[in-house]
Amino acid sequence: MERSTTTDTSRRAPRRARDTGPELGGLFDGYLDPRRPHAGAYDEMFGPDASVRQAYRRLHEQLAASQPGDLAARSEALDRALVDQGITFSLSGQERPFPLDLVPRVITAAEWSRLEKGIVQRVRALEMFLADIYGDQQIIRDGVLPRRLITSCEHFHRSAAFVLPPNGVRVHVSGIDVVRDEEGTFRVLEDNLRNPSGVSYVMENRRTMARVFPDLFAKHRVRAVGDYAVHLLRALRAAAAANVADPNVVVLTPGVHNSAYFEHSLLARQMGVELVEGRDLFCRDNVIYLRTTEGERQVDVIYRRIDDDYLDPVQFRPDSVLGVAGVLNAARAGNVVIANAVGNGVGDDKLVYTYLPEILKYYLGEAPLLPNVDTYRCWLPDEQEQVLDRISELVVKPVEGSGGYGIVFGPNSSAKDLMALRKRVRANPRGWIAQPVVQLSTVPTKVGQRLKPRHVDLRPFAVNDGKSVFVLPGGLTRVAIPEGSLIVNSSQGGGSKDTWVLAPRSSTADAELSGQGLAGSSPMDEVAPERGPELTAAQQQQQQQQQQGGEETDARTQR
Amino acid sequence: MTAENWRIRVVHTTGYRYAAPVVQSYNEARLTPRSDRWQNLVVSRIETTPPTRSFRYTDYWGTEVTSFDLHAPHTELKIVSSSVVETGATVEPVDGASWADLRAPEVVDRYAEYLEWTRYVPRHAELGQLARTMRKGRKPHEAVLAIAELIHDRLTYRRGTTGVHSSAADAWEAREGVCQDYAHLTLAMLRSIGIPARYVSGYLHTNPDGKVNETVRGESHAWIEAWTGGWWGFDPTNDIEIGPRHIWVAIGRDYADVSPLKGTYSGGAATAIEVSVDVTRLA
Repeated sequence: MERSTTTDTSRRAPRRARDTGPELGGLFDGYLDPRRPHAGAYDEMFGPDASVRQAYRRLHEQLAASQPGDLAARSEALDRALVDQGITFSLSGQERPFPLDLVPRVITAAEWSRLEKGIVQRVRALEMFLADIYGDQQIIRDGVLPRRLITSCEHFHRSAAFVLPPNGVRVHVSGIDVVRDEEGTFRVLEDNLRNPSGVSYVMENRRTMARVFPDLFAKHRVRAVGDYAVHLLRALRAAAAANVADPNVVVLTPGVHNSAYFEHSLLARQMGVELVEGRDLFCRDNVIYLRTTEGERQVDVIYRRIDDDYLDPVQFRPDSVLGVAGVLNAARAGNVVIANAVGNGVGDDKLVYTYLPEILKYYLGEAPLLPNVDTYRCWLPDEQEQVLDRISELVVKPVEGSGGYGIVFGPNSSAKDLMALRKRVRANPRGWIAQPVVQLSTVPTKVGQRLKPRHVDLRPFAVNDGKSVFVLPGGLTRVAIPEGSLIVNSSQGGGSKDTWVLAPRSSTADAELSGQGLAGSSPMDEVAPERGPELTAAQQQQQQQQQQGGEETDARTQR
Repeated sequence: MTAENWRIRVVHTTGYRYAAPVVQSYNEARLTPRSDRWQNLVVSRIETTPPTRSFRYTDYWGTEVTSFDLHAPHTELKIVSSSVVETGATVEPVDGASWADLRAPEVVDRYAEYLEWTRYVPRHAELGQLARTMRKGRKPHEAVLAIAELIHDRLTYRRGTTGVHSSAADAWEAREGVCQDYAHLTLAMLRSIGIPARYVSGYLHTNPDGKVNETVRGESHAWIEAWTGGWWGFDPTNDIEIGPRHIWVAIGRDYADVSPLKGTYSGGAATAIEVSVDVTRLA
């Protein structure tokens, strides 16, 4: 590692005479080199004239004053902390430390306020959309959306039709993925309304950063993220039927073999509720019970982290051993609430996404506060033609693809691959969308002994309790480590950054002081679930399959 | 000519015997006839042995679903669905749409689900070819009749060759099948030439001259409905119109949307299945 960095520097030395961009000094040497890939991308710390943007002014002062040696020491401290805390992600079944970069990403109060409003608007409209689609389908009757758009969606679950959640909420938790384009404008890349994961990294990253860099926090008023579980629990309790005085909430996980199990257990612990598997629950006469050492206990709200397909073998995959037979009809009968609701996938379908402006206008009478990324719909003949003509400049994505599987970067593909892709698009136009390559914004990131611009995205998390939509200040910033890479996936060498939302100057709000948060809080109830039979090989396999097919952070590529 | 408007009682009994006691059994029954402008449901109930508490709801397709679960160990399960229905007059083909009308984008979009390929009704080159030859010189509703007749003629009615999971392609390969296969094959051909078409499950009184109060051994039945400016049904298995002898229960894209009984249980394999449909004309 050390050696390769030295070689690198020496090889570059003779070129110093040439233009390497403005002299920024120290750790930022050569940061704005005009020859870097995607030089047109928006850098979040530096303006095009090398001036430091307001959000990063203090952070830049602190970083610019430090020496490469400091950087190495801090980086080592950070790595040690991560290993101590056991923050890992699983890649092809292997646990690896989840890389956290030591430079935080900073968002000003004003920027955040715009972002937050846009996310809240989106969640509200998508809630109304889902209620309509699983109800009377007025938006289709009114001719605003083609019926075929909905009926051809793989995640439109007819078995969820006319299921009415008591407080009307279907999107209890959402992850709205945003990127900043070349102008710095936040744009929504995709909505995740099913099982968005990654919030545990947000909280753990903050805890780690606060421990390792208390000095950075002393100079900033950073809004807290540690109370996420409080908001989540409030929303889940609010979701229960009105006649339940003290709702019993559980977190349903596919099991320890799932890549997000750490998050499931963290959230259950922080909320002080049971973490259960399918075999711990059963349904009798449309009521869900938890098996405990003290007998059966009725369950009112299930925060499930299991995909629809595995949730209820009566309605979906009959071979699923992860779910709870009968749970969907229990929800239909009003005896339990499934959070997030079954069938939300029709709201985050990548083709439905392209109709978001129409959806916002129809339900709210508003224009989108956050624009989408421009998208071509291959199922419309004229747009398909454009895609086929310009395929070598576009990013082509499968509509059903999660986990980033099947995404093709036109500029990086051979003529032969593009030929094959054209064929596939023509064969199944509903299955594909295409977008211009968005040069994601960059943030200084530690690479070797220097800070270099690296591309980032952002997944803010929104929690809807039925009265208001809470957006956790910040979210998960993922960063692509290889130079020029636009792929922020952790399985592609991606990492993450602590994301700071600065408190408005006037506010007395929750500045992050210690990062202590709620970790290790006491469970409300000590009744241990009585475990069912041990796992079979088939169960283990399904738990893992979940993470491949699912919405897991680490299994996603960009873009 | 039979008298129009029959009143019919249907008693549909399904029984399962399990090799080992079953403890957790979750089931959904789609066995309740609906009321509409052709048919009037007078009374209906579903009973199980062992007894269960049932929950009823209307699904996406408008079908009445009865769900029930059993928890005490049992080695036999019997489900009896009884209903009394007043059936309607003979259904006439609807001559309300030209081929151009069927190609109109708003029609294609409105009936998208009934033009799609499914596991039971897959795209099939030979059936498509055949359907196109039936189209020539005919209006859409005439093509429906011609295609139903063709399926009726080309297929031999035989139990056992195809099963509940056989697709239209499987049945065409075998040139044999039961009402489910006749319906799926007809749907495959109609959809291939752009006629929206859907699957209907129900019952048939097997005797066109059925006497009042005489109970006959009837059968679970299936037929199709096509949209040619309006929905109308036809019975390709018997190559007859839908009339007073037909009682409809559920409508969907194919068998999977209307399957009369589905569920999961843990325990021994179901070793014996008993099915009987007793149909009595009451008036």
